[in-house]
Amino acid sequence: MKDTRCEPVRRELEELTLNEAFSDSTSEHLSSCAECREFQRQQMKLRQIVSSLGTVNAPADFDFRLRARLAADSQRPSFRYWSFAVKGLATVAVLVVFGVGVVVVWQRGHEQAPIAKTQPPQTPAGPKQPERHQTIPAPAPEVTPTIAINNEPKRKADRSFVVRPKRSLTAVVDLSSERANIISNTMPALNTGTIFPIDASLQSLRVSLDDGRGNARTISFPTVSFGSQRVLTNANQFAPKGVW
Amino acid sequence: MKVLRTITRRLALSAGPLLLCVCVMGQTPAPSPRRPLPQVRTKPGDRRAAPQVVTIVHRLNALKMFRLLARSEQQAQAIAGFESAFNLVDDVHTNVSAGVAMDDGETIAAWLPEAEVEFGPPAFPQAGIDVKPPTWPDTPNTDFKERFFETPDVSVIGPDGKQLLAKYVGFDATTGLSILKLTRKGLLPPAPIKDEPLGVGENVLLFGPEPVTPAPSLVNNSLYVRIGSIEGRIQNVLSAPTGEISRLRVSAAKLSQANIGGVAVNEAGDTIGIVDGLEGNQATVLPTASIRRAAQRVLEQQASVPRPWLGVRGEAVSTLKLDQIQSQGWTMDRAAELAGKHRGIMLTSVVPDSPAARADLRAGDVILTVDNKEIQKAEDFTWWLEQAGSSNLVHFTVARPDRVSEETMDVKLSGSLDPAAGWLNFRKRLLPAKGLSLLDHGIETIALRPGVATQLGITAGLLVVYVEPNTPAFEAGLKPGDVIQSIDGQPLSTLNGVPSPKTLSTLQVVRKKEKLTIDLAKPAKNE
Repeated sequence: MKDTRCEPVRRELEELTLNEAFSDSTSEHLSSCAECREFQRQQMKLRQIVSSLGTVNAPADFDFRLRARLAADSQRPSFRYWSFAVKGLATVAVLVVFGVGVVVVWQRGHEQAPIAKTQPPQTPAGPKQPERHQTIPAPAPEVTPTIAINNEPKRKADRSFVVRPKRSLTAVVDLSSERANIISNTMPALNTGTIFPIDASLQSLRVSLDDGRGNARTISFPTVSFGSQRVLTNANQFAPKGVW
Repeated sequence: MKVLRTITRRLALSAGPLLLCVCVMGQTPAPSPRRPLPQVRTKPGDRRAAPQVVTIVHRLNALKMFRLLARSEQQAQAIAGFESAFNLVDDVHTNVSAGVAMDDGETIAAWLPEAEVEFGPPAFPQAGIDVKPPTWPDTPNTDFKERFFETPDVSVIGPDGKQLLAKYVGFDATTGLSILKLTRKGLLPPAPIKDEPLGVGENVLLFGPEPVTPAPSLVNNSLYVRIGSIEGRIQNVLSAPTGEISRLRVSAAKLSQANIGGVAVNEAGDTIGIVDGLEGNQATVLPTASIRRAAQRVLEQQASVPRPWLGVRGEAVSTLKLDQIQSQGWTMDRAAELAGKHRGIMLTSVVPDSPAARADLRAGDVILTVDNKEIQKAEDFTWWLEQAGSSNLVHFTVARPDRVSEETMDVKLSGSLDPAAGWLNFRKRLLPAKGLSLLDHGIETIALRPGVATQLGITAGLLVVYVEPNTPAFEAGLKPGDVIQSIDGQPLSTLNGVPSPKTLSTLQVVRKKEKLTIDLAKPAKNE
């Protein structure tokens, strides 16, 4: 079994410099312990070898390079790991988001697609030909701030329009001719309110009149008027004063 | 944790914009129904919605246009030509006006400027024809000539641009409003109507359809329209003799004829009336109470309701000068006494064979009271006659220039679907200027010169533009579009320029290039 005094003796031998003397207790132990004497001999020989080597000067930026190298070495293992993780997660996230976007866009496009279903014809109050009014559901107009009071913005599928065949004008006076229809196509809503189309005659009716005194003149009727703009400006006005 | 935060930050930075872009792409074509409602701005000048405002499309064919032409003040003795491309029943004119949905959500009132062209003068005093306004069948007839007498070609378009199926119920000649009814309830949201008193200075919006500009007016045969509005302010509230509101005067910039028929809505979105006229830069608004009464009259009758007609012209005494009163046969003393009292309506003319004429009212007479109600203004007289209603008796107190004491009389009012009583002027113009007239027989015509007559397969004649229902000619089968070539066997060329025939027996007409003889003594069989 190893002598319990060997350990403190050997620690002292390691810490001694090359020319420093032993303590009394260490000298006493070395005289009685062959193993510690051998340890002391090897230590002395190693010191002699090291002390025989020449001096090497470090470069001026050694300290900076050493610190930078140490810093880089300390970060390199974690950077490699997390960079891979971030890239992977980001890619997955982008793919997920893109996928969701594609689904949303596809659903939107599916909702806006024209629906071929035909609703019952909406004939006007007047004596029109019902078969000429084909009502087709179409997107509703976008509700804008200018028209919205208690109006939930409507789905475009709610809006309808009527397809109207082209009316041809013939040169023959055919008293059984049909009339024009009312609503034809739809137009996207602008920012000022619901916009809707109204069929109107493209051609103004021009009539040549004879006043009975040999004077002739031509009157052209407007195809469209708004409000109470009368067809003939000097037509009888409503409710003239002083007539009962 | 630091690493985790870094990951989160990097993910947010990279995925956020992408997510935003994708969401925007998805939302742009159609807003989500869950998108919050836009804020309604309340300050004056903002455009706001009026869900009770609908668009009324009224179409007129060439025959109706010719009738309008014949009844207008145009010097039109005959039609010398029109483009052969047009058929007589082609729609040649479209009027686009506003209509207001009443609070029941199915009745619509609209002021259609040419509505009277759909109706005839219901009473021809000389012929002694009673007032029988036509009613409109529910099912349109397939024969176009029958359709002429059917419901006017009027369509309703809702605020969302959808066409709404509606029936034209009738025309209220007192107000000039046309009353329609939707075939189904719930197509329009119930719209509030303001019945409370209105105050001067209140802001209003006048809604009405307008063409979309600067888009092309006509694209593929279509005119694009939207409901627009202009701002206004109540300047005056006119009261009826009973104290209720008779008219509102609203000032607004940029007023035009296109605003007549527009719907007046207050800032709370309540309907307050329909614009029925312009006076300078002010619009006169028919209040909702009058609209309600008009709708009630028409809906009760399920037909057009004539305006009470007395057959007089006149002016309020308070507006006359002394010499104007004297010119009607009043002595100086009595004229001064009359003018000092500022009461009554002085009659300036009386239509022959009218209710007034039959009651022996004469020019110069002053109607002081109606049903014991004092008359001071012309508006008072109009109001009380309207309250009496057509075909009813009214009690007058009358002062006469040749009688010292006042007289009382009862007069049975007649009725007219022509609110402007324009047919009286029509008759006056027609008889001297256009010679032959069949007006007294309920037939309105306009002459065709040979050039245009050949388009119809004839040489010349009178184009029938209207036949009054319930007349012998109507019962015998005469229809608009027929061309009369001879009367009682005499060609028109030999009759031209002679007074209107007192009696009619037979008419030779051309219909679809086929010659027919119409015997007015024999009602036609139902076709």
